[in-house]
Amino acid sequence: MNMTALIWRKEFKDALRDKRSVLAAMSYAFFGPMLMAVAFFFLISQLTDPSDVEISIEGKEHAPELVQHLQLQGIVERQQPWPDTVTPITLSIPAQWAEQIKRAEPVTVTLRADWSAQKQQTEIKRVERAVQAYAAQITHYRMILRGIDPRMAQPINLSKQDLATRGSKAALIMGSVLVFIILSVFWSGMNVAIDISAGERERNSLEFLLSQPLSTQSIVWGKGLAATSFAVFGAALSLVLIPIIFNYVPLQEIGMSVNFSVPMMLLMFVLLIPLALLATALQLFVSFRAKNFKEAQTYISFLLIIPMAASFGVEFARLKTPILYYLPLTGQHQTFLSLIRGEGVNWLGASVSAVATLVLALLIGQLIARMLKSEKTVFGL
Amino acid sequence: MINVQRLSKSFKEVQALDNLSFSAPDGQITGLLGPNGAGKTTCLRIIYGLLKSEQGEALINGIDANQDPINARRQIGIFPDKFGLYERLTVREQIRYFAQLHGLSGMELEQRTELVINQLDMSSLANRKSAGFSQGQRMKVALAQALVHNPKHLILDEPSRGLDVMSTRILRDILREQRAQGTCILFSSHVMQEVAALCDRVVVMAKGRVAAEGTPQELCELTGESALEEAFVKIIGSDEGIAA
Repeated sequence: MNMTALIWRKEFKDALRDKRSVLAAMSYAFFGPMLMAVAFFFLISQLTDPSDVEISIEGKEHAPELVQHLQLQGIVERQQPWPDTVTPITLSIPAQWAEQIKRAEPVTVTLRADWSAQKQQTEIKRVERAVQAYAAQITHYRMILRGIDPRMAQPINLSKQDLATRGSKAALIMGSVLVFIILSVFWSGMNVAIDISAGERERNSLEFLLSQPLSTQSIVWGKGLAATSFAVFGAALSLVLIPIIFNYVPLQEIGMSVNFSVPMMLLMFVLLIPLALLATALQLFVSFRAKNFKEAQTYISFLLIIPMAASFGVEFARLKTPILYYLPLTGQHQTFLSLIRGEGVNWLGASVSAVATLVLALLIGQLIARMLKSEKTVFGL
Repeated sequence: MINVQRLSKSFKEVQALDNLSFSAPDGQITGLLGPNGAGKTTCLRIIYGLLKSEQGEALINGIDANQDPINARRQIGIFPDKFGLYERLTVREQIRYFAQLHGLSGMELEQRTELVINQLDMSSLANRKSAGFSQGQRMKVALAQALVHNPKHLILDEPSRGLDVMSTRILRDILREQRAQGTCILFSSHVMQEVAALCDRVVVMAKGRVAAEGTPQELCELTGESALEEAFVKIIGSDEGIAA
């Protein structure tokens, strides 16, 4: 009977009976996409905010047409007083408005606001645009009255389409979904990995297991596969749940469409398997060195920074080098990015990074097996 | 037959074993008697290959566990210093697991598992998970794990610690049964009564060395004392760390 398989079966059964491990593997896959969906709801509603801008208008009796125009643009007079923490946005219309308009003199309308206030940026811009639009309208009438084609005053028609912010926000959304998927293999098997290494030591059963007639390789791979099974299960669960949950997020409102097709998800799943093995190997390496469960948990939370840095870091730093396609972790991330953007996949890169991931995991496994032969590690000398 | 020859081992500045030699013959119970910190556990861990000696060798049936740990360990059943149980597995599952690790399968696996469960009189525990077991019950499970593959050698590290009278009796009966089958039994203890009641041969250890060796009777004669306890104190030169 194969010892690795024997240990795998025993550890898997053991872990399945551990409610904490099962819950840890499931909760990430369940609550993660949920949380993300909620965050996106907020983001989308903010981006497509159609509500009125409320400002203070001084001297509105002097220019009722302007006020009416503003109202049509969704800019209304504020009824409640401004809160202390917010700088008021105030538009002042001078008393000589009607007279100066009549004489075709420039009227000075003052907009007072705090341009550095991040939250009011869009509101201030909307007021600016509305006033400018009204001014353009007046220009229009005046020129027509004088028999001039108003287009004369517009030699260039700059067509501004505000896609930039939406585009980057969409990339951010998809980027975080990908990071979430990649993290699922690190998260779901974590509890099992700690339990069968540091936990085994803490429960004083490690010494007896190591005294049995089998190689430390069998022990490491049996245990590694048990934790990997949980990691893979967690990954599969989040891959299944993400499309379902994202069905309910109105991504189309910000001009985004993500197509989670079945072949794409299957490909992602296959690519995640070597990564799950690597994640488990790293976790076992760390937690076999820890004296107890708690210590292992502390070290492993540091370990979670690696996948986050590798995926978020690359995303934010806009790092673009072909090497990323071939390395473990970044390779999977790049392939996922291409998949979700509907671009062609760098197949060579994806395969090389998969093999590299597998090789790295195997090397770490052999290292742990050697570690378990060392009395320093086993007895913490 | 377990043969320990000139073992030396140190941890940083502490010399745990210092040129230790003794042997445990088949069909006899050899007691490793010594105060706390004498190096008993270190010696046993070297025998089953978890620690490496700096000098000398420990042979189980002629095999050095430092050279060939897998074959050496096939020959032995171990009751370790720390015996944690898998509390989410039932007793039967645990015993079967270790039987399988020793290569048992099929009919032999089932028979040996049932046999050892009956031998230790724990049929009523067999399908329970070991969480919440008493010290005596835990000892039984650990002993079953050591015995299930019917080893030719038994190495027990202070098996009677924390046991009540009834559990101690069961343990002794089992060890005597094993001796009758020709098993080589090596066990460490710092409990005098137990050694006197059970052992055919006693190896008295102090500060990593063999202080004296022989039957309990011989040790008493050697020191001119009538009780083993007095003989022991005389041999190691102090009464530190001994339980009567």
